[in-house]
Amino acid sequence: MKKRPSLEVNFCGVKFPNPFCLSSSPVGNTYDMVARAFDHGWGGAAFKTVGLDYEVKITHPSPRLNGYNFANHKVVGLQNVEQISDRTTTENFTDIARLKKNYPKHAVIASIMGLTHSQDWVELAKMAQDSGADMIECNFSCPQMTVEGTGHKVGQDAALIETLTKLTKSGCSIPVMAKMTPNVADMLPMALGAKAGGADAISAINTVRAISAVDIFNYVPMPTVGQKGSVSGFSGAAVKPIALRFVSELASDPRLQLPISAMGGLYTWMDAVEFLLLGATTLQCTTAVMHHGYRIVEDMNEGLEDYLADRGFQSVHDIIGLALTNVTDPNGLTHKTQAISLIDKDKCVGCGQCLLACRDGGAQAITLDPRRKAVVDENECFGCLMCKHICPVEDCITYKTVPHHLAHLATA
Amino acid sequence: MSPPTQSPDGAASNGLTLQQAIAEAHRCLLCHDAPCSKGCPGGTDPSKFIRQIRFYNFKGAARTVLRNNPLGGVCAYVCPTEETCRHACLRGEIDTPIDIDGLQRFAVEYGRSQGLTVLEKGQDKAARIAVIGAGPAGLAAAANLARFGYKVTVFEARAEAGGMLRYGVPAHRLPLEALNADVREIQSLGVEIKTSHPIDRENATALLDQGYAAVFVAPGLWKAFELNLPGKDLQGVGTALEFLELARTDTQAAAQRVAGRNIAVIGGGAVAMDVAHTARELGAQRIYVLTLEGLSELPATAAELDQAREDHIIFKPQSRVVAIAGQGGFVTGLQGCETEWVVKGKLTPDNARDVDGTGFELRVGAVIQAIGQGPSEVVGRILSQAERKGRLVAADAVTLATSVDRVFAGGDIVRGAATVVKAVADGKRAADAIHKMLTGTEVTA
Ligand SMILES: Cc1cc2nc3c(=O)[nH]c(=O)nc-3n(C[C@H](O)[C@H](O)[C@H](O)COP(=O)(O)OP(=O)(O)OC[C@H]3O[C@@H](n4cnc5c(N)ncnc54)[C@H](O)[C@@H]3O)c2cc1C
Ligand SMILES: Cc1cc2nc3c(=O)[nH]c(=O)nc-3n(C[C@H](O)[C@H](O)[C@H](O)COP(=O)(O)O)c2cc1C
Ligand code: SF4
Repeated sequence: MKKRPSLEVNFCGVKFPNPFCLSSSPVGNTYDMVARAFDHGWGGAAFKTVGLDYEVKITHPSPRLNGYNFANHKVVGLQNVEQISDRTTTENFTDIARLKKNYPKHAVIASIMGLTHSQDWVELAKMAQDSGADMIECNFSCPQMTVEGTGHKVGQDAALIETLTKLTKSGCSIPVMAKMTPNVADMLPMALGAKAGGADAISAINTVRAISAVDIFNYVPMPTVGQKGSVSGFSGAAVKPIALRFVSELASDPRLQLPISAMGGLYTWMDAVEFLLLGATTLQCTTAVMHHGYRIVEDMNEGLEDYLADRGFQSVHDIIGLALTNVTDPNGLTHKTQAISLIDKDKCVGCGQCLLACRDGGAQAITLDPRRKAVVDENECFGCLMCKHICPVEDCITYKTVPHHLAHLATA
Repeated sequence: MSPPTQSPDGAASNGLTLQQAIAEAHRCLLCHDAPCSKGCPGGTDPSKFIRQIRFYNFKGAARTVLRNNPLGGVCAYVCPTEETCRHACLRGEIDTPIDIDGLQRFAVEYGRSQGLTVLEKGQDKAARIAVIGAGPAGLAAAANLARFGYKVTVFEARAEAGGMLRYGVPAHRLPLEALNADVREIQSLGVEIKTSHPIDRENATALLDQGYAAVFVAPGLWKAFELNLPGKDLQGVGTALEFLELARTDTQAAAQRVAGRNIAVIGGGAVAMDVAHTARELGAQRIYVLTLEGLSELPATAAELDQAREDHIIFKPQSRVVAIAGQGGFVTGLQGCETEWVVKGKLTPDNARDVDGTGFELRVGAVIQAIGQGPSEVVGRILSQAERKGRLVAADAVTLATSVDRVFAGGDIVRGAATVVKAVADGKRAADAIHKMLTGTEVTA
């Protein structure tokens, strides 16, 4: 049998059998759930965020979720108004201890959040370490924890992040990771704050503040709890482009240089590869698991392994950050060449969708010939390729690259 | 990332393209405890490979199919899915069932187009196992025994491996390349297939004496039943098995039998439909199909009947051949008569009686009988001590053990005329049982 590439990753000195982890959320709520996830092949898990229960008793609004659907695709995104764990602090850390005992090779991350005093972070860090957790994730980023001094408000204050990271570090010797909120214009100052406080890694992104839908007959945002809805955390496939952006920005900044645990819309091994190529080392996932169950990691593991094998890589580490040098500012893109759409007449079925797209949003370069086959006027086409993106026929529209029609005017 | 848009070179030609497969997999409800997987007699686990396609794990899908079913490439073409996996598919409750066999074919052919070989030989074991018959039952058993690490020799009477798949199932339903690819993968496990090597004189136990630790007997059913009719020895009277084998091995000779002639096919099942369509392709003129069953009682499936309609097949339901007429030793026509059931709903030949005044004549140049098949005589010789079940061989439902120690049997010889996927299931079970017998290890799925 051929040697298969290794999926094992080393993240802040902690070994993960593979990069795929549950992110802190209901998918990692109890011992039984995480154990079942490990049995399916998840490499690690960030346990549902734990606070100090004797300070604030947590309960959740209900219903706590709303699915954002597009056409007949269910839950392209997911909005939640869930709080941190509603179980007791002891229950949670007992579960973590049991997980480490029964699954010593898997990575268990304790997600913590201080609720009222800054000293809470020290105390929780101690408890996490005592439970045997491999590392700690500081939840600086929950959009719906509204107790003062918690949630994404913390995540928007670099100085506070630094202080709280420092306190967490003072309570333990295991690695500490700071989980970032995407609800900022620039994530770097926040991540640098965490680094200044001694963070060993950064995780991103927590949920995006959003309203996923409005009940148009009762005039209330969804999910409607009682008579109200609110702006709260949005996750799933729809947020992946935002997550990819933040991950690439964190990974490419020379000042940060911390390993990254990426999440936001991870569904398949291909999503995973994208995050890895943009600099992530481990990957976390919630919404896809809430939708399809733990089983989906089997396809992530097998697909990632095949990807590495097919391209001759030995290990996940070989591909981390490979795409970063190809990420540039938009004004770093050449204006010397342009694309010209090529339509395969034999494949074209004559639906005319490309004509409409080009006429009403493009260069008015497409017409239909007498047999209804789409034809491109190469002198008019400015190469936006909207036609290619929407064409329903496989491989019907491709493009060629030519010197830019307006090359003589280009300054870049 | 969005799905890849480039279809792999040569993958699934005329089958589903990559995007079609993804789209079809997206229609799947990804049922929990999926009924389609329960509906597959061969344990191929469609719900898993569909999910794998849905999550872009295409090679994983190929692995699932072939690990669970060493003839998974073939099954994707020949399984009567409207009775198995598709029949169970819950998407059918919303609109139409998932194209499960199409996705299975895509998975296997895509994997192979990427150079994937799924099956791997197990850790070498000393014991040698003999298999009689390289049909689907024998091949599946051989594959899984080799995966356990045994040295397997398959003795096959015919010139090539495949059994009914190569010599019976017509080319329009199963391209030989699909069969060859599955056979090649099985051979890559080190399985030795000795073709043109019938076991027809000695008893199966003689192989045990030669040092084989166990024997799996899977010779199928190759003696075609024939009606005892006046004129049965005329040239041009034959059986479906002969005709279809000829069509596979010497298409010209088969064409000579039917081209430009009217022909009569006797029987109303899948095999009769295969004969009718093959005859149509080979240029027959008027094709009559005579059946004891009424049109609504035919065993042929809806899809087969659609094909027959398209082929302009002329059905003579509820009728039988009384005699075959000839001249100079050649068939020239037949006399028939309409029939009715003595007891309604009991569809057996002895329950059919002629209806007075309904006699008819047909001018035909060939009569092909597709009325079933049974074990050939050699089976009696190779399994002379084994307990029988009527004409068939008796074997344990789980272990496929016969009444003779270390001799197992499966496939059509045990079940009667069944299906490829059931033959595969038997091969798998026999391999498990033989492994358990030799090592005491229980095989878990
Ligand atoms: C025309 C036709 C069409 C069919 N179409 C379909 C279909 O579309 N789908 C489906 O699922 N099923 C179909 N079937 C049924 C299917 O082919 C059988 O159920 C299946 O092949 C049985 O497998 P088997 O391994 O038991 O036997 P076989 O496929 O019959 O294989 C037995 C093998 O053993 C060899 N053999 C026999 N005696 C000896 C001996 N003494 N020594 C050595 N070798 C020997 C034979 O040459 C043969 O290769 C069809 C059957 C026929 C006749
Ligand atoms: C219902 C729900 C509850 C969540 N609870 C927490 C939490 O307690 N702590 C935390 O750090 N993140 C929490 N998250 C955020 C996720 O861990 C993750 O960062 C986010 O959902 C993006 O990943 P995804 O697109 O894979 O879901 C929660 C998300 C959801 C959907
Ligand atoms: S082997 Fe046949 S019955 Fe089983 S899933 Fe595949 S096509 Fe369906």
